[in-house]
Amino acid sequence: MAQIRLKNVSKRWNNFVGVDNFNLDIADQEFLVLLGPSGCGKTTTMRMIAGLEEITEGEIWIGDRLVNKLEPKDRDISMVFQSYGLYPNMTVYENIRFPLKVRKVPQEQHHERVMAASKMVELDDFLQRRPAALSGGQRQRVALARAIVREPNAFLMDEPLSNLDAKLRVSTRAQIKNLHHTLKRTTIYVTHDQIEAMTLADRVVVMNKGLVQQVGTPMEIYDRPANTFVASFIGSPAMNLIQGSIEGGVFTASGIRIEGLTSVAKGPVTLGFRAEDATLADSNGQIEAPIYTVELLGEATMLSMRVAGELVSIKVGKDYRAEIGDMARVAIPAAACHLFDHSTGARIA
Amino acid sequence: MPHKTFFAFILPSLIAMALFIALPIVSVVVQSFHVEHGRILVEVESCQPFGGCTKETRVDTAAMAELKAEQPMGQFNGFGTYLNRGHLAVNEIGAILANNTGFGDIVTRIYNLPFYKALSFTLVFCFVVTPLAMALGFAIALAVNTLPKVTKGPVIFFSLLPMIITPLIGSLILYWMIQPNGIIGATLRHVFNDPTLSLRQSPALTWFSLLFYGVWTNAPFSFVVFYAGLQTVPADTLESAMIDGASRWERIRYIVIPHLAPLATFVALVQLMDNFRVFEPIVGFSAEANATSLSWMIFNDLAGDAQLFGSAGATSVLTIIGVVILLTPVLIRTWREFNHKVV
Amino acid sequence: MSQATLSHKRPLGLTILITAFIVVWVILAAFPFFWTVWGSFKVEPDFFSRESWWNAIFGVYTQRQNDGSAFTGSGYYGAWVTREFWRAVGNTAIVTVSVTVISLTLGTLGGYALARSGQRYAFWILILALVFRAMPHITLVSGYLLPFFQLNIWGVLPTSIIVLVAINQPFTLWMLHSFFLSIPKDLDESAMVDGCSRFEAFRRVIIPVMWPGVVTTGLFSFLLAYNDFAVTSMLLSADNQTMVPKISSFLGSVQEQGNVMFAVAAVVSATVPLFILVLFFQRQIVSGLTAGAVKG
Repeated sequence: MAQIRLKNVSKRWNNFVGVDNFNLDIADQEFLVLLGPSGCGKTTTMRMIAGLEEITEGEIWIGDRLVNKLEPKDRDISMVFQSYGLYPNMTVYENIRFPLKVRKVPQEQHHERVMAASKMVELDDFLQRRPAALSGGQRQRVALARAIVREPNAFLMDEPLSNLDAKLRVSTRAQIKNLHHTLKRTTIYVTHDQIEAMTLADRVVVMNKGLVQQVGTPMEIYDRPANTFVASFIGSPAMNLIQGSIEGGVFTASGIRIEGLTSVAKGPVTLGFRAEDATLADSNGQIEAPIYTVELLGEATMLSMRVAGELVSIKVGKDYRAEIGDMARVAIPAAACHLFDHSTGARIA
Repeated sequence: MPHKTFFAFILPSLIAMALFIALPIVSVVVQSFHVEHGRILVEVESCQPFGGCTKETRVDTAAMAELKAEQPMGQFNGFGTYLNRGHLAVNEIGAILANNTGFGDIVTRIYNLPFYKALSFTLVFCFVVTPLAMALGFAIALAVNTLPKVTKGPVIFFSLLPMIITPLIGSLILYWMIQPNGIIGATLRHVFNDPTLSLRQSPALTWFSLLFYGVWTNAPFSFVVFYAGLQTVPADTLESAMIDGASRWERIRYIVIPHLAPLATFVALVQLMDNFRVFEPIVGFSAEANATSLSWMIFNDLAGDAQLFGSAGATSVLTIIGVVILLTPVLIRTWREFNHKVV
Repeated sequence: MSQATLSHKRPLGLTILITAFIVVWVILAAFPFFWTVWGSFKVEPDFFSRESWWNAIFGVYTQRQNDGSAFTGSGYYGAWVTREFWRAVGNTAIVTVSVTVISLTLGTLGGYALARSGQRYAFWILILALVFRAMPHITLVSGYLLPFFQLNIWGVLPTSIIVLVAINQPFTLWMLHSFFLSIPKDLDESAMVDGCSRFEAFRRVIIPVMWPGVVTTGLFSFLLAYNDFAVTSMLLSADNQTMVPKISSFLGSVQEQGNVMFAVAAVVSATVPLFILVLFFQRQIVSGLTAGAVKG
């Protein structure tokens, strides 16, 4: 059983910092998601855990073993790659069997285990095909089967859904969640898609520019983003962020005034609130501005307004109709507001 | 990839290159500072009955062999070989510059020094053949691109032949044709009605035929690369240019050529490198009386009965310096690019 | 694509011009070969006719010397049998095959390592290889001769083979390096996570998929060894000569009547394998030439 521990892990290429001082304890059987935009260091972190990238500084422990100097094959992990890394010259069956073969698992177990793994990902009908004859979703499932056939300590998944179309992505996501529940293995999952992170993770690590921004459960990250980066990365649409100033618990900027906030802060701040926390108001709302555009989403209507130079999204009822240019008033409860430091972006309240 | 694994993989290749490319370069440099031993002469007195005695000077072969075994490279000569008449000819040039009858005289007399003669042909070959071959290759590529599919294959097949052919053999084939009694040579005599016309006799005509050979054998490479490049010209851009009203020529000028520019740099680099070592055609055309090249000079020093390692070494070092000068722009550019991006 | 839709609108004059240009080029490219092949079956006074080159076509002297037949194999007989050209052919076969096999073995290992290492030194090795690639072979040869005399390994085939392998390495490394870059890294990394060491991953996963690139690179290694004159002419003793230096040695004794026809016959013999090579591997040659360009 494997908990994975990263102690002050850094990766540098010459002058370029890929991952800076990463510290994390991953519990046994945890589903951990590394989330961030491309180039944030999430894939590098995972590749260092896998042993595919050398660690510049720090220590990585899998279970009770320091693995810094171990080859990937000796770390007892398996990995699903973004472009699957299927062996084109082997059939699906041989692909799934490959880890057993190279690890000298006794021959007589092979068939049974390959069949079990392929059944789990519903590949039974395709075992004799070659990867070139499979669809993207099927290839992805071969990669999954190859990862689970060995029952390793931990699974690593590098954006496994990013090459699939939207519909397939949803169903495969569910399959991955279910597999994790069945197999009960520590899983590290890298993605840039916050919805995947929210739906799959026990805990999410949000990264940007090689630095960990926040570690927490999906709800913690959604409800209390640690800084403006996390706030703007999580949620759909992203949190509205408005530059303004605060004095005695009152936030003001052009077109917006919110009272009843914390009186600790003073001076210029960034205020954040989510589109779904705002409501339309008849009179004395906190925002009053002309409508920039109206988007019908089906289950709701999304209003955009320009407030203090920013486009602000407001989610309203699905029957709301208005013309571009109409004035709208919006109410925002003070309790739904987040305050961030004006210059560092760190959370104040 | 860990350093150890990397070097385990690449070591055989590195050893081969170190032993047979890097080391020979060192060896060439060392050789260039040495010169063959002078002859050891002995005086032998041979007396004949009634004839009195005569003294004779002879080469002492035994002592020579001994010396050669001791110091196979010969004696140290410093930069002597570099500066002598066969190479940079410093004194001769000084004399020419000090005492001449005008610019034309300087050029002619410097050209008559063997190293400068070779250098000028090498450079002319490099910088005339490369652009001409690229232009011809580009034209062929454009033309072939308009052909129907069935004819493309055979045309490409025949176009590859001049490039794929062994340089010595290719030059022999052309040489036999342009000889006075070959098909082209004879035809030219007939056309110009000049029974003494021979491409070999006049330096200008020899140069011309060598350059012609160069373009003939170099054009296919440009053609193939440009032809492949033409397949990657974005159709969208071409079509939007057509809608914008660009003529056939303007489309080539403003879309195709800029698209192929990076390829052109590559082709130019490769062909300059290859043309700088021009040598086989001179052997094939037996053109050494009228045109020599740096590589040919080295070959000539080594091929003779008395192999002049020192002289060949000095020419080699000068040639290598030439190659490095030729490559400098590329190296500088690569270095800059490398510093801008993280691998 | 767009070219096809354009073609029907091309003005007639331009089409004629293009066709004429292509015809001229193809004649220019191919005619010398056909002419020489044709001429190799004639006698010297026909192929090198002082009177008229129609003699070469009709074989006037050939008929006279050959009981009325316009074709003669005497050039080939002279080259292959009298002057033992077959020996040179055998040597060429040994040299080219060995050079190709050894170059590819070293080159695949090295090229793979270069493609997979992101280190600074990998980049410098490639740059160094580029500089080595530009070295005129004859300058290197002048560095070999003296040490080889001293070591007493001059003149034999293995020496030439290993030298050609080394000279070939820079190019082979570059070409295979760019080819391996086109094989997704995920493939060998999967294998390593699945339980292979780096070398096992190379052997079990990369080798099975690398053949297209290896074949293409191999063609060029073969051509380099086959076409070489500088190395083989200087490093091989007369007994061990390969085809190209052998042909050049025919020329040394052209005075003798008919000898030049030996050279013509030998030249044609040496051209045939190249013809066959282009015929069968045209696509690989084209893709190989462009691979370096498009990626490098």
